[in-house]
Formats: sequence, C-alpha cells, structure tokens
Amino acid sequence: MATREEKFLRKLFSEFYSKCRLTVRQPEKREFGFGGWEKKIEFRHIGVKGEQELRAKLVSDAPLYVSHSVAYFEFPDARPMVRKNWLSADLVFDLDAESHSCGKFTCEKCLEKVKAEARQLIDDFLLSDFGLSKGEISVNFSGSRGYHVHVVSDAVAKLDREARREIADYVTGTGLQFDRLFWNDGKKFFGPKPTQGGFGGKFARAFTSRLEEEEFALSVSRKLRDPQEKAKLKSAIQTGNWDNIGIVSREKKLQEKFDTMKLTLAGRIDANVTADTSKLIRMPNSLHGGSGFLAASVPDLEKFDPMRDAPAFGEEKLKIKATEAIPALRIKEFDFGPLASGDVRELAMHSAVYLLCKKAAVLA
Amino acid sequence: MADLLFCSRYPFTAEAREYASTKGLELSSSLIEKAELRLKDALTTGKMKKTADLPSAEEESLILYAACRMIVSSAGNRYLINRYAVAEAKRSSDCLSSDLSARPSYVEQVAAEFGIKYEKSGQHFLVPLAAYLMFTPRSVDYKLTNREVAFGKVRVSAHERVRILEEAIKKRIEGSLPIRAEFPPEIKSAGAHMISLLPKFEAEIIRVGQENYPPCIKKLLEDLALNINVPHTGRVSLAIYLVNAGVSDERIVEFFRHAPDFSEKTTRYQVEHIRKHKYRMPSCSTMDSYGICIAECRCANPLNYRDSLHGRRLRQFEGEKKS
Repeated sequence: MATREEKFLRKLFSEFYSKCRLTVRQPEKREFGFGGWEKKIEFRHIGVKGEQELRAKLVSDAPLYVSHSVAYFEFPDARPMVRKNWLSADLVFDLDAESHSCGKFTCEKCLEKVKAEARQLIDDFLLSDFGLSKGEISVNFSGSRGYHVHVVSDAVAKLDREARREIADYVTGTGLQFDRLFWNDGKKFFGPKPTQGGFGGKFARAFTSRLEEEEFALSVSRKLRDPQEKAKLKSAIQTGNWDNIGIVSREKKLQEKFDTMKLTLAGRIDANVTADTSKLIRMPNSLHGGSGFLAASVPDLEKFDPMRDAPAFGEEKLKIKATEAIPALRIKEFDFGPLASGDVRELAMHSAVYLLCKKAAVLA
Repeated sequence: MADLLFCSRYPFTAEAREYASTKGLELSSSLIEKAELRLKDALTTGKMKKTADLPSAEEESLILYAACRMIVSSAGNRYLINRYAVAEAKRSSDCLSSDLSARPSYVEQVAAEFGIKYEKSGQHFLVPLAAYLMFTPRSVDYKLTNREVAFGKVRVSAHERVRILEEAIKKRIEGSLPIRAEFPPEIKSAGAHMISLLPKFEAEIIRVGQENYPPCIKKLLEDLALNINVPHTGRVSLAIYLVNAGVSDERIVEFFRHAPDFSEKTTRYQVEHIRKHKYRMPSCSTMDSYGICIAECRCANPLNYRDSLHGRRLRQFEGEKKS
C-alpha cells in the first residue's frame, strides 16, 4: 500500500510532468526505467514512440524516478537485452559526492567539490585530451549529490564496453605506470615534455608551473633556492631532460609529487557507469524522488547553485512533521531548521517536498 | 582500372571485391585444394603463406581468398572462422609492413578503407582516439592511460600503426563470416574436411555435468570453448557462478584456457580473488544489462536457476524422505 506521502508526491510529480520541458534526444530509441518509493528502477524495458507518449506515460504513471538508457536501440522495449539491437550510445560520466562523508542531507561543500571535479573532467580530459567540442558535452545535476556529464558525439557513439572501460581507466589513471614515463640512458635522466599528450605532459606542465611555489620547489631539491638552478631545471624539462641539477632520490620524489597533484580523477567517477553501454541514467530535467529536485541541465557550471537552481516546486505552504532530527538547511534562499523529531512546521513547497522525499518528514 | 597487385595483397577491400565481381573469377578443383591447404596452415600454425607477387598469382590470390571464405562458412565453426581471420589479417599485416617503404600509398589506402585518418608527426603517427580504442589489442602496451593522448589523437609508432590495421582487418573478416549461402559440393566437402581437422577439446569442455547450469552460463562456457572473446563482465560473472557451483579453482582455470588472450597467472589470481572475497553473483537484470542474458528464465539470479528448474522435484523428494 502506498503511503499518504507517496500518493501526495506522485500527484505533485504528475502535475509537474504535464507541463514541464522534456529534453531527451531521440526518446523513441531509448529504453526508459521508472522508479517508485522503494526502488529507483522498478520497471524497465519501457519504450515510447516519441515525446508525446513519454509525457503521457510520465503523467499517468507519475514515477518518482525517471531513467533512460545511454544507448539508442532499434527495439528499446524488447527483451532480453540482445533483442533490443544496440545501435550506439552516449558516453556518460557519473560524478558523485563521497557518499559516507556528509550523511543524508545535501551538503554544499561536497557539491562544490564535485563541481570542481566535473570541471576538471571537462577541461583536462574531454576537451583537451579527447578533443571533443563544447557543443558535444552537456552537464546535468544528478538531482541529489552529483553531476552527470553526457557526451553526444560520433567520435564515441559506437565504442563498445571495453573501449569505454579504457576511457574510464584513462580518466581515473587506472593502470598508469608512472615509471614508464621516465628512463635513464646512463648519463641523463629523461622524462616527458610539457608539450606532450597524456599523463606525461600533464605532469610536466603541472610540475614546471608548481616549481614557482617556493615550498614545492624546496621539497624537490634544496638547490632550487637558487633562482638560476630553478631556471636551469625548468628549461631542461622543456626538452625532456629531468635532472640536470642532481635531485636526491628523484624517482621517489617525482612519484610522490605526481600522487599529490591529483591529475587523475581516481575514485571520483563511477567507472561502471561509463563502461556500461546499456546503463540507465537519470533523465536530464526529470525529478529526483530522493530530493524532489530537478536533475537540471546545467548550461554554465560556474553559475549553477543546486540549492537555488534545482528545486522544482514553488513557495506555496505545506505543513509537515519531522520524523527525525534535521539540520539547518537553505533551499532557494529560504532558511529553515534545525528541526527535532516531532516538530511540525509550515514550509515552502520545495523545502517540504525535499524533506518528504528524504523520508525525514511526513504530512502533518 | 583496378590495381590488381593491391587487390591481391588486400583482398578484403572494397576495391578487391569490386574487381572480383566484375571479372567473374572462377573456382577450380585445384584452387579449392590450394585454399584447403591455406586453411590447414591457418588452423595449425595460425599463419598462411604469402602468395608470390607474380602477375599470374594475383588473380589466383583473389580466388583463394573467396574460396577460403566459402569453405569456413560452409564449415560454420566459430573457432575455424576466428583462426582463419587471425591468419588472414596476419598475412595482410606482413604485406603492410613491407609496403610501408615499398608502396606507402597502399598503406594509406588500407587505412582509408577503415576510415582511419592518420597524421604524420615526425617518426610517429597520430591516430584518432575512437579508431585507437576500437582496433588496439587489450594489453599493457596499448593501455590508453600510458599513451600520449591529445586533442582526440593518440601517438603511435609505424609498427603500431600496422598492428592497428591488422586488428581492423581481423575484425572485419570475423564480422563478415559466415556467409549464408548454398555452396557447391566441392566446397561443402572441403568444409567437412576442415571440421575433421579441428582440435578435439570442445566436446570435452561442454560436457562437464552442466545440465543444470542456466542458459547464460552455458553460453559463456561455449563461447570460451570456441575461442570467442568473452567480455570482462562475462568472465567475472562466469567465474563467480562456477565458484558458487562448487567447481574447483583448477577446473575453472581450465575453462578459461581457450580464451584467445588466456594467461594462467592472471586467471588463477582472479579466480582466487573472487573466492576469497566472496563476490556476489550478479542478478539476472544485471546480467541482462551486461548483454549476456540470453533467455527469460525468471529465476532472478542465475544461482537460482537450478532450484527453479528442479525445485518442485527436489522438494517432493525431500518430503518423501522425511515421511
């Protein structure tokens, strides 16, 4: 039996879907998955003929979660999977806040960190290394505590699972053999040039620019106190000669420096999501049943503030009763809380829905 | 005018196909015999002899190529097809290596055949990322993480450039076979002959008391036995299933021995790892999303298949024992 809260939310979501903006590319070729109060995907293998049918289904089923396949299929509703006839797929990256760190309520600090990582993914990997263009990349808020980066490009559309796994491994630096970047010919110690591609080039560029920092330079070698020595090392690295000044235990030091520079997104993207060519992922601009927020498209990552831009509902009042302790929160510039379990409050709809979705409150 | 030398060296290209179809080349029993010998080489040594670059041999080379394709199609055996594709690709790759200096335009033409646009960069070449990912072997040496990647291009050596083309050729040949057609009796009997030459390990592998394994697991085992490259997710799922089905590590490693990229050490380590860390069997829906579910058994998890198949009978049996 559906709870009062679930019924209330479903009615609200249904109304929302009757007039919201739908932004799915080629819905007729996607598999959809709908979720409810207990599970994020309860029903899958759902196919639609187009946007109109999708909207009709969203309004009538009023799912609390809506996902669609990253893949395009000939027969999206066929089963088992092989009968769908896979045509191609978007390349997707799922960046999430570290789950255990901040408890169940959305934490702005964590979200800021994920945003920086999304920026790193786009600037350092997708645009510069993979040569994708800005127009091929779109970002949306996950609706909860992360961001999804979608790449729609002929350059990646046909890549299979294994190729996508290679991409995920590259972005996370998995399998990187740092010592392969350096070699010794008996006289000189060679390494990557700043102009070169891949992690070698990333490291050479980051390393030479960090040498400007006194503390960093001294931790590499005491000799770098002397500006002439520093200039000498920097210009040698430009040509791939990494040690013309005699750095003590240089291999170990370089490895340490590499590890602290965070040039990879190790552990920060979910590699399984990227590799899975038939993954169901939150439909951009759909509602997230765990927050009542919109999995909003983010045209400008810099300006996007999830707590201001993602809440989907208005300011009409709703009375709720907290069922657990709730910290002070700010949604759409409205402050509320902290609340103790049992407290009854009249809150703006967006905030009330947030607490109902978090299962931290009931209708009062 | 088609370049016959090019066609004979690279018979899988569109140009060669067109030449062969307009010329209407004819099969003879002696050529079918020659094709059989080629396939036998492919099967036993993994290689095929290069044909001489004599004008007289050029058309013959095209006919042999067509004959081999018909014979392996008629045999209809995946192992034979894959083995043949590897050898045919290797033959073309040897041609490419010698053409690097002798006839560089041929190499360009083959690359263009697969839509791979190389750029020259000093002694090296820049390959588009997608082509690199699709056509490089999954090995440490080609791991993208350790490569120079910039602006959608990966830097490779002249040798690696040929290796990438070889993989593309292999994939094309594998993907284009078997041809579905009715073949002349001579081809059919050549096909039957090839089947008789196949190594005998397959039957033994599939037999191992597996009547209660679910269809997806049976399929994975069959694929492995037929040297079909099973994706990583498939291998892990299979190993987890076998561990749970009470199969010994030794035995499991044996199953994987026929994988084209088998490494005993790696496999053993991974199987032990799965056992030690008690990996959970992926559910049917996960298997489905991996693309390795092939039937609707409605058992929720492959491990339940045996029970759902025999459940009633087993329970009845248990009941009888108690009473």
